[in-house]
Amino acid sequence: MRKVFQKSLPHLLLLVYVVVILFPLVFVLLSSFKTSNDQIVTAPFGLPSKPTLENYSKAWTQAKISRYFFNSAYLSVTAAVSAILLAAATAYAIARMRMARASKIIYQFILLGMLIPGNVLFIAQYILVQKLGILGTHWALYLPYTAGALPFSVLLIVAFMKAIPSEMEEAAIVDGLGVIGSFFRIILPLTLPALVTVFIINLLGNWNEYLLANFFISKDTLRTLPTGMVGFRDAFQTSYPLVFTGIVISVLPILIIYAFLQKTIIEGLTAGSVKG
Amino acid sequence: MNKTLRNPYVYLLFVLPTIGLYFLFFIYPVLQSVFYGLTDWDGLTPAKYIGLGNFEKAFKDDDFWISVKNNMYFILFSVFVQVPLIICFSLLISGVKRFQGFYKTTVFLPSILSTSIIGILWQFMYHPSIGLFNKFLGWFGVEPIYWLADPKWAMLSILITNAWQWMGFYIVLVLAAILAIPKEINEAAEIDGATGFQRAYRITTPLIMPIISVVIMLSIAGAMRVVDIVLVMTKGGPAGATEVMASYMVNKAIKYGQYGYGTALSIMIFAIALLLTALYQIAFARRQERVEY
Repeated sequence: MRKVFQKSLPHLLLLVYVVVILFPLVFVLLSSFKTSNDQIVTAPFGLPSKPTLENYSKAWTQAKISRYFFNSAYLSVTAAVSAILLAAATAYAIARMRMARASKIIYQFILLGMLIPGNVLFIAQYILVQKLGILGTHWALYLPYTAGALPFSVLLIVAFMKAIPSEMEEAAIVDGLGVIGSFFRIILPLTLPALVTVFIINLLGNWNEYLLANFFISKDTLRTLPTGMVGFRDAFQTSYPLVFTGIVISVLPILIIYAFLQKTIIEGLTAGSVKG
Repeated sequence: MNKTLRNPYVYLLFVLPTIGLYFLFFIYPVLQSVFYGLTDWDGLTPAKYIGLGNFEKAFKDDDFWISVKNNMYFILFSVFVQVPLIICFSLLISGVKRFQGFYKTTVFLPSILSTSIIGILWQFMYHPSIGLFNKFLGWFGVEPIYWLADPKWAMLSILITNAWQWMGFYIVLVLAAILAIPKEINEAAEIDGATGFQRAYRITTPLIMPIISVVIMLSIAGAMRVVDIVLVMTKGGPAGATEVMASYMVNKAIKYGQYGYGTALSIMIFAIALLLTALYQIAFARRQERVEY
């Protein structure tokens, strides 16, 4: 008896934690299928009596969630791709090319960026994008997102590239492959696991970013999901099911990526934080 | 072969775009911050050099120090509430054999979600009439509490939401450290008759102190950065009760156009963050010996 108790007690306590985590998410999901505020107010945690997808079509088309969604998607992806391409090229130069002294200085210089907390630069970056004449356009997010991801991406990719043995590359170069060919055809494919990790981390960061998106963009049609959803909440304050539907739509892509790549995401994010 | 890998043109081609972008969005803003921090620039009239005037103003600005105090609540809450819970739950997860992966994946989940979405979601948890908290308290006959509108409760409400978001992240960090401890140590203690609780308290916990130290450092860094959740959930209100340093700074600059003062505040934030980290290092982290197995 005591043994059974000892075995199940940890699971019981952990289950409480799991419920605390999942509860708000399940509540939102259930509510998004309900038709009216009444249904949520009278039975907040009950199943929807007549589940409906009406909220989804309404939120997606009428309420412009689709707009926010595409803005978020293409900004997150393009900025994340640009960051890993730039970072991979730089990492290759630092880790594999024979320019040790310059590389050391450049590496240290870029890592300085990891010491500076993002918020501190907020106002100066605001003034900068204003001066560049891109305030209020997607460039005002694309450039800081790309630049912001560089120090961390370079750090991780350099560490990975340094660990690749040099024989293969040397053999290819002896056979007449140029340095650019070696980068694209030998090293880049071998670095793919690290690139995937860095890409996912950057993508998540961009997808979730709020502060810059809130202040650098004012036009509603250019908003991304995190800021768009806040406006959405204010506009549809009286229609809870619609707001919950918006939340589900914003969270779903992340959950799908997480379901497939949880190991990469967990390892990447925790490694990034400890090193940084 | 050496020559191929020493091609300076390719080297520059690979390095320059990164350096350019990095310089433009990191180094240049840092220099600009120092420059504007010493001026009274309001975005319209030309900036006038006023020396350390902004910093003197900041030291006398009571509202700013209220926001500093609110940031401290984040640190205190994580050190005294979150860290003990983090240790307990990571010990629990490390102890179970079944479902370990499931627990890890689930507790980590909130930390990949957008803070702004979490803020909106939790506003509904705190909703005076449909929110979970008031429903639950209602069963015990407690009158509805206006969690986010009442200065007494607003800060705590945000702290709880913040903990909900980030605890799992730290649990996974600590869990990795626990699982890296060689099994022999625990097995030896078990043979010597130590109970599960004794092993957790006397063996595992001391061995994971270095990672706990990292967790506290990250919590301090996170507490200094916190802003999204406040902007989304309360906008610093009610009556400044939840204003944090970053939201105060952003407001001063964007809403009131006090760019000079705002950048000076951002330098103050950076300085406070450095100071706290250094203090923590001197007071606690240095005392710890390196753990070697």
